[in-house]
Amino acid sequence: MVKEIVTYPTPPSTEYSTDVRVFDENIVSLIDNMKETIEANNLDALTAFQIGNQFNVVVIKEDNGSYLELINPRLFSTKGQVTTEEKTAYFPGLSAKVTRHESVSVVYQDREGNDLSLKATGDRSILLQRKIDYTFGSTYLQKLDKDEKARFELKLEYGSNIAVSESCPTVFQRDKLLKVINVAMIAMVILLFISFFVSDENALVTMWSYQAYTALAVLILNIIYFFYAQYEGKKYTSCTSCQIGNIIGTTVISLFKLTLLFLASYLLI
Amino acid sequence: MARLVVLGGGVSGHTAATFAAKWLGSQHEVVVVTPNAKWNWIPSNIWVGVGQMSKEEVTFDLAPVYADAGITFKQAKALSLNPEGKEGSDKPFVTVEFTGEGKEGTTEEVEYDYVINATGPKLNFGATEGLGVGSNLGEHTVSVCTADHAEHAAHELAKVIEKMKAGERQKILIGTGHGLCTCQGAAFEYIFNIEHEIAKAGVRDMADIKWISNESFLGDFGVGGLHMKSMGFAVSSKIFAESLFTERGIPWIVGAHVNKVESGKVHYELLDGEMGEEEFDFSMLIPPFAGVGLKAYNKAGEDITSDIFAPNGFLKVDANYGAGAYENWKASDWPSTYQNPTYSNMFACGIAFAPPHPISKPMKSPNGTPIGPTPPRTGMPSGIIGKAVAHSICDRILKGADAPLHEASMANMGAACVASAGKGLFDGTAAAMTIYPVVPNFDKYPGTGRDVDYTFGEIGLAGHWIKHILHHLFLYKAKLKPGWALIPE
Repeated sequence: MVKEIVTYPTPPSTEYSTDVRVFDENIVSLIDNMKETIEANNLDALTAFQIGNQFNVVVIKEDNGSYLELINPRLFSTKGQVTTEEKTAYFPGLSAKVTRHESVSVVYQDREGNDLSLKATGDRSILLQRKIDYTFGSTYLQKLDKDEKARFELKLEYGSNIAVSESCPTVFQRDKLLKVINVAMIAMVILLFISFFVSDENALVTMWSYQAYTALAVLILNIIYFFYAQYEGKKYTSCTSCQIGNIIGTTVISLFKLTLLFLASYLLI
Repeated sequence: MARLVVLGGGVSGHTAATFAAKWLGSQHEVVVVTPNAKWNWIPSNIWVGVGQMSKEEVTFDLAPVYADAGITFKQAKALSLNPEGKEGSDKPFVTVEFTGEGKEGTTEEVEYDYVINATGPKLNFGATEGLGVGSNLGEHTVSVCTADHAEHAAHELAKVIEKMKAGERQKILIGTGHGLCTCQGAAFEYIFNIEHEIAKAGVRDMADIKWISNESFLGDFGVGGLHMKSMGFAVSSKIFAESLFTERGIPWIVGAHVNKVESGKVHYELLDGEMGEEEFDFSMLIPPFAGVGLKAYNKAGEDITSDIFAPNGFLKVDANYGAGAYENWKASDWPSTYQNPTYSNMFACGIAFAPPHPISKPMKSPNGTPIGPTPPRTGMPSGIIGKAVAHSICDRILKGADAPLHEASMANMGAACVASAGKGLFDGTAAAMTIYPVVPNFDKYPGTGRDVDYTFGEIGLAGHWIKHILHHLFLYKAKLKPGWALIPE
């Protein structure tokens, strides 16, 4: 079955780099799909990753029309360096200057799980390097030097940061709670300010009790905020640690403000 | 009164012993048997190895710390275990040979109710011809595995830098000295610290620095690689490591089993069976690890070493050692309680437990030589395991012999690692990485076997600061200063 090739700006999957452990019909059908996709798109090679599959499988179409199947390929024993203009199906219509090894050795397995190896130079070496990088979840973008990357990024409509699987939001539900806390504290400040102009003893006592209740409410809201925010923070796992730091900091600052206000009210009202 | 004997005072043994002493109080006895008078914060040996720290800064005397903590300290190495006691006594005991305290060479039988084997590894230099003899480092290369080795390495490195300053081009080769090494991370840190120091000395253009390792790809680190959130992409540690090596001008050889070391030259075999040679003027090659060679005897005095120890000399624990081929490996093969299946009062932690199988894909050359990293059991996991084992034993002593055991499987455990890539307050760098779980769980997390949300890394100056703070924090903890128990593993 011909599969759709993942292209920019769809972020590549974060599931990749899985070595094939069981050589069964699933792998055979994966390889068949890859071959059909190569034919349908007139490509020279394809990795399973490019059609959204996690397994480390590379299929290369040879000049004579036959296919080379590489399962769990590993690249080593490199020699020399060469920079060429490369194209890849992930970035349709684009190309970039990439520096690669001139020659490489590759060990891999065939569909029966037999260990094999090959050596490659020139274009074939470059192709193998690009495809094996895909099995580690990477396009050639990561291989570009600084200047070339800057040049290449200009050609990308959405920049190169689209591939982050989960970005950390900047607005949270918990911020509403924080808003309530802040409003309550502003009310406390106003009440404190008004108290300077009130001389009636009874009114001051009432004001002090309002102040004390508001302070208690703010304290409780802070506690709720602290725990709810952590619950919310854990939903975005890729940035939990900095969020927790943020939450602790916010709570400490809020409680510090409250303590100051409360002390000032206690002493002044 | 019960007695817990801890064999080994490294990261995991020390953690286990100190927590056990804290939890058991003075009603019970904790004995630590370790051949070294000093405790060593091994991760900082890297900085000793480049002359940025002294040996004294990464070590301290154990005796006064143990005296304060109420732990009996025997500076001795364990020779054998008699888990069934001997004729005339059912009390299990361990035979130790003193290496200090003025009793060098004398042996003693230390009886125990519970024993933890935390002896760490034997640095098996002898496994590679020319790398050394037995556990002794050879003359051709250096090592950073112990503080003494690291000090020697720094001395040799200084000589090489002097030669470069005198206009002599030098070849530096760093990596692993055998096809079945672990601890690639230490070599990774060392090569970048060397590169950093050489650049600082202004002779970077006189040095050819090269990496050689048994990993099948750069950035495997013995855990089959991990994901790094780098440059906006969630890329594999392979891509990350390759760009770091390229950026620092360090070429690499991977998939290599170093099979012979001579003066100024190593010989190696590659994954495709080809042989190669590499010359060097300065080389640090990590040795493979083996068990320390403890023996075990039953009540009748018959050798039962092979019953309780795996062939590599590590203690068998509650792991599935019969998993067989790669396709059958499961996260559940990994031990969780670290209890010996034959003797319920015997536990292991840190490097001393026998892992069921590697984490990285096993590979061998067409000549049949296995080339691939063995699983790391160092750093954070070894501390966590040490604490869990101590907890289990304390519960059994305090709450009864049926108390449930605490679990700390590396398949359910995350680890954080900060790998230094150069020391300096403002120009230092380190790669901070987290990985969850350490052992991939292919059933739970299809694909990489790991939770990508918890597996990530970054490189930068902040990482270096964290690494430096951790150095002080863990030494503080190990010295049992106030609040030590609050500091995580």
